[in-house]
Amino acid sequence: MSVERAGVEREVVAGAPGVFRAAVDVRERDAAPGRAALGMFLRNRAAVAGAIMMIVILLVSYALPPFVTADKNDFVGGRHTPPLTEGAPLFGTDYLGRDIGLIVMHGGSTTLEVAGFAAVLIVFVGALVGAIAGYHGGWVDKVLMKFTEFFQILPGLLFALVVVALFGASTLTIVLAIGIIAWPPVARQTRSEFMKQKSLEYVKAARAIGASDTRIILSTILPNALPVLIVQITLAMGTAILFEAGLSFLGLGDADSLSWGYYVGLNRQYFLVNWWGVTLPGLMVFLTVLSLSLIGDGIQDAVNPKLRGR
Amino acid sequence: MKTRTALATLVGLALAQGATAQDDPKLRADNVPPEDRRGGTLVAGQHITVTHPIGTVASGMRNIAGAQLNAGLIRLNDDYEPTPYLATSWEFSDDGRAFSFELHPEARFHDGEDITCTDVAFSVKTSQENHPFKTMFTPVTDVTGGDSKSCTMMLDSEHPALLTALSPGLLPIIPEHVFNDGQDMQSHPRLTTDVVGSGPFKLVEWDGNDLIRFERNDDFFIEGLPYLDEIVIDIVADPSTLALGLESGQYDMASLWSGDDIAAAEANPNLKVIDKGFEAIGSIPFIQMNLRHPNLEDVRVRQALAYGYDFDQYNSLVYAGQHRRQCGGIQSQSPFYNPDAECYEHDIEKARALLSDAGYEEGDLTIEVSTYPGQLQTAAEVLKQQWSKIGVNVDIDMHPDEVTMLSEMTAEDSDYQIGLVGLWNWGDPVIGVHRSYNCDNRKVGVAFSNMSWYCNEEVDALLAEAGAELDTEKRKALYFQATDLINEDVPVIYASNEVWYTRMQQDVQNPPDGVWGWMDSWAETWIDR
Amino acid sequence: MRQASTIAKRLVEAALLILAVIVFNFMLVHLAPGDVVDALSSGAFGDASEEVNARLREQLKLDEPVLVQLGAYIGNVLQGDFGYSPVAKAPVMDLILPRVGPTLLLAISSLAFAVVLGVAIGTYAARRPESGFSHSLTVFSLIGFAMPVFWTGLLLLIVFGVWLQWLPISGMVNLRLPRDATLIERGLDVVHHLILPTVSLGVIFLASFSRLARASMLEVLQSDYVRTARAKGLPERTVLYKHALRNGLIPIVTIHGMEFGVLLSGAILVETVFAWPGLGRLAFTSVLTRDTSVLLAILTLVSVTVILANALTDIVYRLIDPRLRVPEAT
Repeated sequence: MSVERAGVEREVVAGAPGVFRAAVDVRERDAAPGRAALGMFLRNRAAVAGAIMMIVILLVSYALPPFVTADKNDFVGGRHTPPLTEGAPLFGTDYLGRDIGLIVMHGGSTTLEVAGFAAVLIVFVGALVGAIAGYHGGWVDKVLMKFTEFFQILPGLLFALVVVALFGASTLTIVLAIGIIAWPPVARQTRSEFMKQKSLEYVKAARAIGASDTRIILSTILPNALPVLIVQITLAMGTAILFEAGLSFLGLGDADSLSWGYYVGLNRQYFLVNWWGVTLPGLMVFLTVLSLSLIGDGIQDAVNPKLRGR
Repeated sequence: MKTRTALATLVGLALAQGATAQDDPKLRADNVPPEDRRGGTLVAGQHITVTHPIGTVASGMRNIAGAQLNAGLIRLNDDYEPTPYLATSWEFSDDGRAFSFELHPEARFHDGEDITCTDVAFSVKTSQENHPFKTMFTPVTDVTGGDSKSCTMMLDSEHPALLTALSPGLLPIIPEHVFNDGQDMQSHPRLTTDVVGSGPFKLVEWDGNDLIRFERNDDFFIEGLPYLDEIVIDIVADPSTLALGLESGQYDMASLWSGDDIAAAEANPNLKVIDKGFEAIGSIPFIQMNLRHPNLEDVRVRQALAYGYDFDQYNSLVYAGQHRRQCGGIQSQSPFYNPDAECYEHDIEKARALLSDAGYEEGDLTIEVSTYPGQLQTAAEVLKQQWSKIGVNVDIDMHPDEVTMLSEMTAEDSDYQIGLVGLWNWGDPVIGVHRSYNCDNRKVGVAFSNMSWYCNEEVDALLAEAGAELDTEKRKALYFQATDLINEDVPVIYASNEVWYTRMQQDVQNPPDGVWGWMDSWAETWIDR
Repeated sequence: MRQASTIAKRLVEAALLILAVIVFNFMLVHLAPGDVVDALSSGAFGDASEEVNARLREQLKLDEPVLVQLGAYIGNVLQGDFGYSPVAKAPVMDLILPRVGPTLLLAISSLAFAVVLGVAIGTYAARRPESGFSHSLTVFSLIGFAMPVFWTGLLLLIVFGVWLQWLPISGMVNLRLPRDATLIERGLDVVHHLILPTVSLGVIFLASFSRLARASMLEVLQSDYVRTARAKGLPERTVLYKHALRNGLIPIVTIHGMEFGVLLSGAILVETVFAWPGLGRLAFTSVLTRDTSVLLAILTLVSVTVILANALTDIVYRLIDPRLRVPEAT
C-alpha cells in the first residue's frame, strides 16, 4: 500500500528478503519523448555501467557455455584450491575439486531463467490486475485492491519457503511461489499509472470515437505506460533473483543445475577453508541484481527528468 | 581384531553366569578425577535436531541426550561385554527362555520413586508397542517381579540380541507411575515437560532445535557419579559453527562431519580428535536401489553400478580418506562381518560390459536425496560424476526434507530408482540389519524398512536362523552365507562404513568413546580444569 | 463521529483479512501431499510404525473432513491455541513463544540501526543536494538492495568473526557465561552477539532509508514553512533540527506492517547464517523436519502481525495528523 505523507508517496515493496524500495514521487509527470530519453539514459553513467554489466553477465551465461566443453561436474584437481593458483582453475576449486568458475558460469542461466519466468509471471499478473483496477475504478478497483492487499500481506520468503517445502523444490513451484508474493507492488504501480492516464486528453478522445475498453487499455494506454512497466520488470527480475537465491541457499533448489544461490548454500559449510566458494557465486547474484536496478533506475530517470537526483 | 572376538564371546558370557554384583561398576575406573576437578559444565555441540529424549518410544540421535536422562539395565564395555548398570546381576535359564536380573537397591527415579520390575515391564511393553525396532523384544512375553527388585523376563524363543537391546540407548527405563495414565505414549506431554528419568543427569531445559540442559543427579545410584555438575548440548546444524565454537572454547566437545574438519582439528594443538567410539552403531550410507523399477530389475545393472562406484575416490574427496570400506550389510566392526567377503572393486570396463549385456549402453537414472544434514548430498554429486564414466547419466532429485523423500520411496508402487539414506546397524544384526532385507519387511509407508523391496527366500531363512542361534560360530557362518547371497543380488550398494569422530578440548577426560559413543552415559566424563 | 466509524471500519477490515489469511494458509498446508503424521514414520527420528500413526491420526482428527478441521483450527487460533505438533511432541505455542523475543530483538535493532544511520546519511545528503555524496547515495541504496542478505551475513561473518575475531559467530548468548553473571553482563553478552546479525539485516533497509530520508528532507527543506523560518534569520541548526527533521522524519518513522513481513523474510536467512534462536530459524528447521503444524502457525502469526500493524498505523495516523483526513489515496 502506499500512503501520501508529507508529499512523498512511499511504496513498500513486500518483495525480496529485506527489500524495501522507496518509490519516487510520481505526481509530477513529464514524459520525455523516446529519443531524448535514450540520450538521457546514455548520459547516466551509473545506468550505462549497469547495462554493460548486464551484457557481460548475459554473454558469460549464454554465449560462453557452448564453447566451453569441459564438464562442470568433473573433479579437476585438488580440493579447496584458491583462485589464481598455478596450475589450477582460475577461480579455484571447491570441496570436491570442481572448477568453481565453470559452475558459476553454468549457474547463471539457471538463476536468470528461474528469475525470468518468475518476473514474467509477476509483471503479467500485476499489470493485468493493476490496469483493470486503475482504468475502471469504482467497485472493480476496490475489489481488486483488496485482493492485492491480501497477497501483499503474505510474508515474502517465509511464504515461499512454506510453499516450496510443501510442494517440492521444482522450477515450477519456485517460479509460482515467487510470483505469488511479488506481484502486488507491480499491480499498485500499474494502477497508479493507469489512473493518471485515463483522464488525459488522448484517452478521452479514444473513448469519444467509441473504442472498447480492452482496446483502450491495450492499444492506447499501455504503450504510454510502457516505461513504467519496463522499470517494474527490471525491479521484478531483481526481486525474483534475490528470492531464488535465498530459497536455494536454504537448500530448496535444483541439485543438478547448481544456481548461484544454491551453490553458495553448498559451499557454506566449508567457508572456513574456502571463502571464495561462497564469495564468487554470491557476487554474481549481487552484480546481476545491481545492474538490473541501475538499468531500471536509469530508465526511470530518463523518462522523468524532473526526478533526477532523488 | 580384539573387539570382534570379544563381541563373539558376548553370548557365551551371557549364557553362563551374568556378572556378579560389583561394588564399582565404573567403566573408566582407572581415570578418576581428584576432588578439586569434579563438577563443572560440559558444553557439547551437536548437529542433528531431536524431538524428545525418550528412546523407549523412538530411535535416533535423541539417545545422546536420552542416555544422560535415563539409565538402562546394562552397559556394554569396550569389549562389548555387558556390565552392570541398573541391573547388578543376571542370568539366563538353561533353556534360554527366562532371563532373571536384580535391580540396584539404591536405584531411584529423579522424583524419588524406586525403580522396580514394574518399571522395567512397562518400559519393555512401551517399546514393543511404539519403538520402530520391533525385533528387539518380540520374543519377550512378560516381565515378572512387580514392585520388587528381583525380576524375570520370559521369552518364547532364544534371543541372542537381548543383552545388546538392554543398553541405555535401546531400552531406557522410564517411570511407569508417570507415563502409565492411559495417554498415548507418542504424544504424552511428559515426554518433554517435567521429565522424570532414571539416569545420571536431570533434565533442566529442553529445546530439541536449539539447546538442552542437564544438571547432576545427586541421588544417582552409582557412588561418586556423575562427575560433572552440568551438561549443555547446543544444537547447531552448521559444521563451520561447530568447528569455530570448538576453537574459540565455546564447546568442550563437538560432533564431526567431514574430512576437512578432522584435518583442521588434528592440526590444532589445543584440541584432540578421537576415532574411538560409536563402533556398535555401524552407520552405513546406503545407495538403495528400487528393485521394482524396470531399470533396476536386472541384477546385472545393479552389479554394474556397484562396479562403477569408486570407494577410494569417494572416501578421499568426502572424508579425507578416513572412512572404512564396507562390503556387506553387516558393519565392518561387527564379529559377524566377513572380512574376506568379495567386494565390488571399482572396474569401469566390467561395469560397461554388464550394462551392455543387460541391454543398456547408456541410460538415465535418478537419485533421491534430501537436505538431511550430512554428506549424502555430496555423495550424490560424487556418484553423478562416477557413474557418468560408465555411461549412466544421473539426475539428482533434491527433497526439502528427509520425510518427503522417505515417503516417496516407501509409497505404494513407488517408482523411485535410487535413494541415498543413512542406516545404522545398532549393535546386533537382528536389530538393525535384518529389517533391510526381510521379505515381510517390505512395508508401504514405513521408513527404514526393506525399501529396496528385495526378497530372497533363502536369505530370509538364513537370517531367521541366525537370529535365533545362540552359538556364536554357527551364527557367524549363517550370517556369512546370508551376506554373500545379498551381495550377489546387490539390492544396496554400501557407500562406506562411517567413522564418527569426536573432537574436544585437550582437558576433557573419559570422553564418551565407548561402543555406543555419545549415546551412552557421560557420568564418568570430567574436565581437567 | 466520522472518525470513530472509519476506525471501526478499519478494524473490521483487519479482522476479515485475518480470517482470510488463516483460511488460506490452512488450506495451503492441507493441499500439500501427505499430512503432518507422515513426518513421524520417516526421518532420523525413526519414531513410529503404521499402528502408531493410525492412532495419532485419529487423535488429531486428521481423518475428518477438511472444513471441520478448518473450523476447529480457527476456533483454536482465536483462543491462542495453535495446536499440537506431533513432530516436536509439544504444543506449538510452546515452541513458538520463546522464539518471538529473539526475532523481535533482531528486527527492532536492525530497524533502529537503519533508521538512525539512514536519517543521518540522508539528512547530510539533503543539505548538499548537488554534491557527489548525494548522487552516489542513489547508487549506494541500490547496492544495499542488491546484496543478498545471506551473502552479506556470510562475508561479515568471515571478516569479523573468523579473520579478525572481533565478534562471535553464532548464537545469542555465550554458553559459558557463569551462572552468577549479572543482568548487565548478560545484556552486554547479547548485544555482543547481536551486532553482526543486525548489521547484515539492517544494511538493506539502511540503503533505502537513506534515500527516503534525503527525499523527504529535501521536500521539507524547500517547503514554505522552512523558507519562512530561514527568512526570519533563524540559525541553520535550529531550522534543520526543529522544523525540517521533525517533519521529515514522519515518513521514515512510519513503520508499516509490511516491513515486518519483509523483516522476517530477511530474518530467516540471517538467523540461519548466525544460528540466531528466533522464529526464522524455527521456520527453517520446521521445513527440515516437515513440521507443518509449526510452519502453519508461524505463517499465520506473522501475517496477523502484519495486518494488525498496518491497521494500527493507519488508525494512529488518522488520529494524530489532521492533514491526512483525506480519502486514502492508495
